[in-house]
Amino acid sequence: MFAYLIASGISTGALYAMVAIGLVLVYRSTGHINFSHGELFMFGGFIAYTCFVILGMPYFVSLVVAVIGGFALGVLCDRTVYRPLIKAPALTMVLATVGFSFLIKGVARFFWGAREGGDYVAFPAAVDPSPIPVGGIMVFPQQLLVLGGAFFFVVVFTIFFRRTRWGKMMQATAENATAAYLSGIRVERVYTMTWGTGACIASAAAVLMAPLTLLSPDVGFNLLLRAFAATVLGGLGSMPGAIIGGFLVGIIESLAGGYIHTGLQEVSAFIIIIVVLVFRPAGLFGIRRLRET
Amino acid sequence: MKRSPFAAGTAAAVLAAAWMHAVPASAETGVTDDTIKIGALGVLTGPNAKFGDTIYNGVEAVYKEANATGGIHGRMIEYVREDDRCQASEAVGAVKKLIHQHEVFMIHGGACSNASLAAKPEIVAADVPWVITASTASSLTDPVHPRIFTTMLAGWMESYAQVQYAIDLGMERIAIVAQHDNWGRSRYDPLIEAFKLHGIEPVADEEIAPDPTDGTPQALRLQAAQADAVILILFPKAAAVILRDAYKIGYKPFLIGGSTVGDVGVFANNVGIPGAADKLHAVSTIGYTADDPAMAEWKAKVEAAFPNDTFNIYHMFGIASGQFVVEALKRAGRDLTRESVSQAMNDLSVETDPYAGPITCTPTDHQCHNNAAWFGLVDGVTKRVGVTAVTR
Repeated sequence: MFAYLIASGISTGALYAMVAIGLVLVYRSTGHINFSHGELFMFGGFIAYTCFVILGMPYFVSLVVAVIGGFALGVLCDRTVYRPLIKAPALTMVLATVGFSFLIKGVARFFWGAREGGDYVAFPAAVDPSPIPVGGIMVFPQQLLVLGGAFFFVVVFTIFFRRTRWGKMMQATAENATAAYLSGIRVERVYTMTWGTGACIASAAAVLMAPLTLLSPDVGFNLLLRAFAATVLGGLGSMPGAIIGGFLVGIIESLAGGYIHTGLQEVSAFIIIIVVLVFRPAGLFGIRRLRET
Repeated sequence: MKRSPFAAGTAAAVLAAAWMHAVPASAETGVTDDTIKIGALGVLTGPNAKFGDTIYNGVEAVYKEANATGGIHGRMIEYVREDDRCQASEAVGAVKKLIHQHEVFMIHGGACSNASLAAKPEIVAADVPWVITASTASSLTDPVHPRIFTTMLAGWMESYAQVQYAIDLGMERIAIVAQHDNWGRSRYDPLIEAFKLHGIEPVADEEIAPDPTDGTPQALRLQAAQADAVILILFPKAAAVILRDAYKIGYKPFLIGGSTVGDVGVFANNVGIPGAADKLHAVSTIGYTADDPAMAEWKAKVEAAFPNDTFNIYHMFGIASGQFVVEALKRAGRDLTRESVSQAMNDLSVETDPYAGPITCTPTDHQCHNNAAWFGLVDGVTKRVGVTAVTR
């Protein structure tokens, strides 16, 4: 039982980590939590569904189209929500991103919702759906794909931030937007890139997850909540913290559900947020100064 | 001036003739010499629009057929629809419009329980007969109201049927996995009642979110409890996750699903793993699948009348309910009144084409449909595998 719980916790945790990376990316650059991030995730999944299931494109092509579509939606979010309100109070930004999330959900529901039999669609597995033995337990190949996807994105983003000009500009903007602007970085472009990149990672996560569950217009909020718990646990603004936090939230949920009560699986994210904010507000890897600002 | 008796008589005759033309043969609201106006209260727009409109298309197909064969005692049925958007706040306005603006004779509709519950006081106050097509809230028809009837399985019936079915199949170690949102509680509480009535305890009682990413903990706990049958109180998304993860760990109990997974073939495809849904039987309001040859005639009629529709189970809810109402109107006779049609429905049993058993109303029970059909995969094809007459 323990091995199964840990394996499923790691698999779902990888998913949370991927969503959390996008959340942290936007937070680091803009100082705002994007409350429409879950819906960006959901929309990316539906773009892939349209390509893969309706149009019959190959899975990998659908993934690429979803990532590009997600990027475009993230840019749209930047241009229509963030940019016009860039100097508005934080609460205004919260309300604006929440409003945007409702808009995206409504659009998704219009195109893909309310089908015969339910408000969901099935997304066939990219690989053979039958479970395979790994280390003495059975796992779905798609779970391994999620894990591989998360690992891929962690590596890509590590390289991106450390080795590329855009990555360094993003980091500089995150540290001090005014100083970045004075040193010639076109900060507004960095913001656009950040929103787009965050959304495209979420889209990739959705495409990896969709074959493990069904896809519905309401799927985003739950993922946002768990990703938020991961970022709080890891330390708001910390990229390694978001990744480790994601895995920890997945494993905690799984163990709590398996050993204590299955009802705890759903509320674990809330409990984690409360406990971390009370006992360690900076999270595991966060900088206290960052929290205080 | 002296009036001639002839002129006075003529004037009286003309007045009498004019009065007779002005006033219809029946003075009942919504009924004229040649029409009966019936109102549909239901969801026509918003996320659930297809379900509401589709059901009423099924009803209207029956009404069209009745009209095409001469109507009900010479009267044609007019079916007007008002949108409650599946919301309580909209339902009150919609039902007032039906009663006071359209002046309908009776109401035939209601798909969302919350909206129907909000509309009920207005309908009761106006003393309008109401046949509910799809809302499942038990309190709409229990306790009995002389004007309100339902042709849909009441919420509690599914849960009772699930327990009864497990026992009938000889299952001894029965477990539950349920989502505990509002919908889930409305099924879960009657389920626990049914367990108590049978004097048994579930061997495991697990929870899962309606929108889960993983069902492994639940599957492992059910396996540890050695449940030989698992009752599912779940939306399809959560049910699919449970079935997949149970299959993954090699746990293959008998699964007793609710109507949310009633189209077992479609659901099995959504689960996506060959064999994972082989031991699933699910309860359904209707007695046939939409592609069953027994439904071919109705499929043709509905798709001819509504070319944008693809015939499905929601049409079948409407057809069964429509057949019940048409029979009630016939029984009420030419002198149609709200009282006469209510009296007719009060003691009426109608065999409908889509349901597995008759819709039967009695003076003490207006939850008129209690034959829950069971569907499962037989050689890879969805077939009816049983019927449970639900009693409390």
